[in-house]
Amino acid sequence: MSGLRSARVSLLLPRSHSLTDANKTGSWSFIQPRYGDKTAPCGEACPCAEDIPRLESLAARGLYAEALRAVLEENPFPATCGRVCFHPCEARCNRAELDGAVAINALERFLSDAARDAEAPSLAGSGASGSGAGKRVAVLGGGPAGLSAAYFLARLGFSCELLEAAPELGGLLRYGIPAYRLPPEALDRDIERITRLGIAARTGARVDASFLAREAAGYDAVVVACGKSRPERLALPGAELAGDALAFLAAARADSAPSLAGKRVAVIGGGNGAVDAARTALRLGASATILYRRRREDMPAFADELRGALDEGVSLRELRAPASLARRGDGSILLAAEPMRLAGIGPDGRGRVERTGSPAEELAFDAVYAAIGAAPDEAWAIPASSLKLGRCAIDLAGSPPRAYLGDLASASLPALAESVADAIGSGKEAAIALDALFSKGPGRVEAEVERSRVGGGPSVSLGAYLGGERGRRSRRVVAYADLNPDYLERRERELGPELSPAEAARGFAELRAPLSPSSAIAQAERCFSCGLCNDCDNCRTYCPEVAVRLSGGRRAVDTDYCKGCGICVTECPRSAMSMEEPVS
Amino acid sequence: MMRVLEGSQAVAEAARLARVKVVSAYPITPQTHIVEELAKFCSDGSLDGRFICVESEHSAMASVIGAASGGVRTFTASSSHGLALMHEMLHWASAARLPIVMAEVNRALGPGWNLWMDQTDSLAQRDTGWIQLYCEDGQEALDSTLQAYRLAELVNLPVMVVLDAFFLSHTYEPVDEPSQEEVDRFLPPFEPKFRLDVADPYVLGEVAPPYIYMEMRRSIQSAMESALCLLPEVEEEFAGIFGRRHGLVDAYRCEDAEIVLAMAGTAASTARILVDELRAAGRRVGLLRIRLFRPFPAQAIRAALGPARKLAVLDRNCSFGAGGIFAQEIRAALCGHAGPAVYSYVAGLGGRDITVESLRGVYEATRDRPEPPTESVWVGLREEILCE
Amino acid sequence: MRMTERAGEIREYLSPGHVGCPGCGATIAMKLALRALGERTVVVTPASCWAIMVGAYPQSSLKVPVLQTGFATTGAAASGLRAALDLRGERETTVMGWAGDGGTFDIGFQALSAAAERGEDFIYVCYDNEAYMNTGVQRSSSTPWGARTMTTPGDKWKRQQKKNIMEVMAAHRVPYAATASIAYPEDLERKFRKAASIRSGLRFIHLFSSCPTGWGFAPDKSVKVARLAVRSRFFPLYEVEDGTRYAINESGELPVADYIGGQNRFKHLGSEEIALIQARVDEEWERLKAKAAASPIGQ
Repeated sequence: MSGLRSARVSLLLPRSHSLTDANKTGSWSFIQPRYGDKTAPCGEACPCAEDIPRLESLAARGLYAEALRAVLEENPFPATCGRVCFHPCEARCNRAELDGAVAINALERFLSDAARDAEAPSLAGSGASGSGAGKRVAVLGGGPAGLSAAYFLARLGFSCELLEAAPELGGLLRYGIPAYRLPPEALDRDIERITRLGIAARTGARVDASFLAREAAGYDAVVVACGKSRPERLALPGAELAGDALAFLAAARADSAPSLAGKRVAVIGGGNGAVDAARTALRLGASATILYRRRREDMPAFADELRGALDEGVSLRELRAPASLARRGDGSILLAAEPMRLAGIGPDGRGRVERTGSPAEELAFDAVYAAIGAAPDEAWAIPASSLKLGRCAIDLAGSPPRAYLGDLASASLPALAESVADAIGSGKEAAIALDALFSKGPGRVEAEVERSRVGGGPSVSLGAYLGGERGRRSRRVVAYADLNPDYLERRERELGPELSPAEAARGFAELRAPLSPSSAIAQAERCFSCGLCNDCDNCRTYCPEVAVRLSGGRRAVDTDYCKGCGICVTECPRSAMSMEEPVS
Repeated sequence: MMRVLEGSQAVAEAARLARVKVVSAYPITPQTHIVEELAKFCSDGSLDGRFICVESEHSAMASVIGAASGGVRTFTASSSHGLALMHEMLHWASAARLPIVMAEVNRALGPGWNLWMDQTDSLAQRDTGWIQLYCEDGQEALDSTLQAYRLAELVNLPVMVVLDAFFLSHTYEPVDEPSQEEVDRFLPPFEPKFRLDVADPYVLGEVAPPYIYMEMRRSIQSAMESALCLLPEVEEEFAGIFGRRHGLVDAYRCEDAEIVLAMAGTAASTARILVDELRAAGRRVGLLRIRLFRPFPAQAIRAALGPARKLAVLDRNCSFGAGGIFAQEIRAALCGHAGPAVYSYVAGLGGRDITVESLRGVYEATRDRPEPPTESVWVGLREEILCE
Repeated sequence: MRMTERAGEIREYLSPGHVGCPGCGATIAMKLALRALGERTVVVTPASCWAIMVGAYPQSSLKVPVLQTGFATTGAAASGLRAALDLRGERETTVMGWAGDGGTFDIGFQALSAAAERGEDFIYVCYDNEAYMNTGVQRSSSTPWGARTMTTPGDKWKRQQKKNIMEVMAAHRVPYAATASIAYPEDLERKFRKAASIRSGLRFIHLFSSCPTGWGFAPDKSVKVARLAVRSRFFPLYEVEDGTRYAINESGELPVADYIGGQNRFKHLGSEEIALIQARVDEEWERLKAKAAASPIGQ
């Protein structure tokens, strides 16, 4: 038996011993796919340069804290902006071409609530220049611009001292925006997160121009973020009878406004301040009328805000220019309003008006508030030699160097929508500019800021400045036509439920309830993630060559095996890949 | 234990005793008794295996290929047209080096339809890489089936155990059926040299490009050569346990024979009667029964023929345009060696009887002709019908 | 349509370095099928493109065992293998027959039908690229009406309808039959997992596998073409339980012209012929819908 068992018999048969991966079939290809994230239009439009597709993709996975940290990377005011931002991102959202923009703004608010304990992201290990270490910066003004500058400077390692004239931080956000748009609690959360970075904030500390002369030498840089502290006055007979709308709003915020029950209130102006004042008056029991010189569509106020006001019962008298105010015997104010008519369209697209010549209309009110804008104090005039950036100006020659921010700077900078988000963006731009100044020198400031812009600008990204993944994205903005239509499925846009106008007008409760978690995820899932890989994994799923490798959360094409079929690029829903000739 | 068994039953009993796991077959007369018996064994639990009722012989072979690739002992049986339909998969089984055992009942191919004995079906498969064993009686059918598994699993080639239609498949004879314990001693549990295994995945039967195909073919040829050496050893072991051996060839009274009759299958039993008769009359006649056809036992044949001057080969088959197949093979084996002149006879096709008298005619014709004719001589042919 | 994350480790059983054409749909099909079935799977594959793509000696492109077998024999070889595994106590191993349309609709049909009738316990996949591609694009009984192949060339383009293999298999009353497409990976993987979980008979999956080489379209469009086949109802995704209960999983409302338009094999067809195809597709769709309505899965 043993003889047979040990019999040696030839047995060479068609049986495999190894895998085909020894064959480098990548040599078949003459063109290869590349991963290349591009710029989403929303992110380009966001004055704070939030990485919107990224945060949406995190939110869609239920990673709320991570999503909020992605917001905080670029914007320290999520709870605030999630409520009051005019969200130009949504106006540019590619989804709008299909079935309505992604509810980016509502989602930001949702995240700010859902992950309220999230801290500002650390820059440790991020490649932060560290030039701020040991440097002291005085930030003058505790509004959104100043707080933003302090936030980003602190994250870059600077020691910040923030001086605010008012008793509390927040500036216009605290005193100028009614609670039904921005509950104080939401603002406080944002501000606390900022000050927790170690910013020394001194409130009730009014500074004037002499500060620069007396104390600036003690700092390495000064950020001037004083805002427009000087309200414009009406120039007409009886102007002194009109109150300042901003002061009225501040009083209402502080619960010190007089009761207006049964009173008739007029607000003169066409901006957000006018609408806010009218709606606040309404909530205090008054009947409210907005008088505006031009047409409704020419009003700078956000259309949604105006519509809300009108729905609540505010009256709008467009094409009415106040000519005079006079106190009547019964204590009421007689407002003479001259009818106006359209006299062409200005270069900004808004209508220009002229008097019709018809007799003035006489209207009786119990109170009149002027909301015709504000101007910066002359004390903060920007030296002509300053370097003008997108949203701030840097006086490099100043001793120490100074940055002029936001609304303050905008008077002499390219016209920008004057918004909270713009103010925040200006603070960030200044922080980046100062960091570049100290780390790279004055000659590099402009280039470093330019390098940090998103898409075509003007928004700047700290992530891009720090040389992170954001900075490596192509600045080409993804258009709707760049998306793969096969993956564009209709899904309803959804916002939180809204109070009825009648309910809304009854008090200062927020107009809208937040998104529910399921709606928030559904909305986040609607994001196409234009130009930004969101791990949909189509490239890996469909690759016939198993040549898409995932390692450390990043995908790469294994050129040893990629035959260049191009399925990954074609099936990328969001234009985050492209075909390129291989580099030999 | 001695039992009276039909030839088909003897094969089925052997398959049962070999503990086959998968039997797959499609019915064709005269193979049916074999597979019916095995179906019964699977059904009554006397065989722990599965009988797959396939829809064709092609599938029968494919399914035992699948099963053997899965690492179990397999069995199938066929005949004639069924075997011809299997042809592709016969090649597959051998080149895949699977130790499948098949009973093949020699039956004529149509048209005209013919159910009876004829060897052309199995001999037409001679180049498929199967070992072929031709049996003379029920005992040998049982023994050959057991030996077939032993040999197949040693050399990793499939084995065809060939039985004459009806003369063997349907004939009852006393057969010494061994016990399971004895068979287990001879035939150890199947340990496949390779099998499909998720724990050690590989491809079986894959593409073999020109650079390796010839070596694989040579490996089959080498294994066939090994089988030729190993069958005697298997027989030794078999004889040690069961006391029987059948040989590569079975030489009967050939020692001093001047004329030897050569053939395969049951006709040899008839020839033994004639040989005994002629020997009694003082004629120096012998019988050479070819048992192993593939690999062809050329040396054993030469050794067995001794001093014979004439060899009359009786073929129950015909390779049209060439004649009797055994005769050709034997001629080739003798070529270049001193040996007898080969006389080729075609006889008994499609179940026509081969009798002592018809064999006597073959003997006498061989004796009387000084030189063999170049063509095969057809025995008992009704020339008058052909001439019309 | 998945728009969000799928970033975890995925065990692949297809190895790179195989010899499939760039953009081969059948490769994606195998990759996805094995993702769903996992390592306890044995593949049985007859002559086909996949017989080549499995690899030449001594290589394999699959990380699971593969039995190559004769063209006509997938159903039979898989039956034998299943029996062997069962008798070895390897019940949990899935046997997957993997044949092309030629090996299924044509030469392998008899063995498939028999295995279905016997209630064999394995998954039979027909990866359908609608012609004999491995031999250089000859027509099969799966080639659709209107298509040109090397054996239906020029004006002799195919004028016979594609065999409705799903109905044939449903008529066998197999416990599970489903269509699947490489363009719908989640649906595909679900169906493979479901098929693996059913052990009461043969499970049949008709897997649409686009072929850039044979159909004449750019390799990057493989998935897109497969998707268009579904969205134009040329190849709706549905499943049939026990041959009687239907559920439609994916379809669409695009005109078949959208699907046909991008493929050279159809480019000779005029609007009249395309209208005929549309009518046929509509008719089949109505028939399918009626079945799904009359006898839905889950009732």
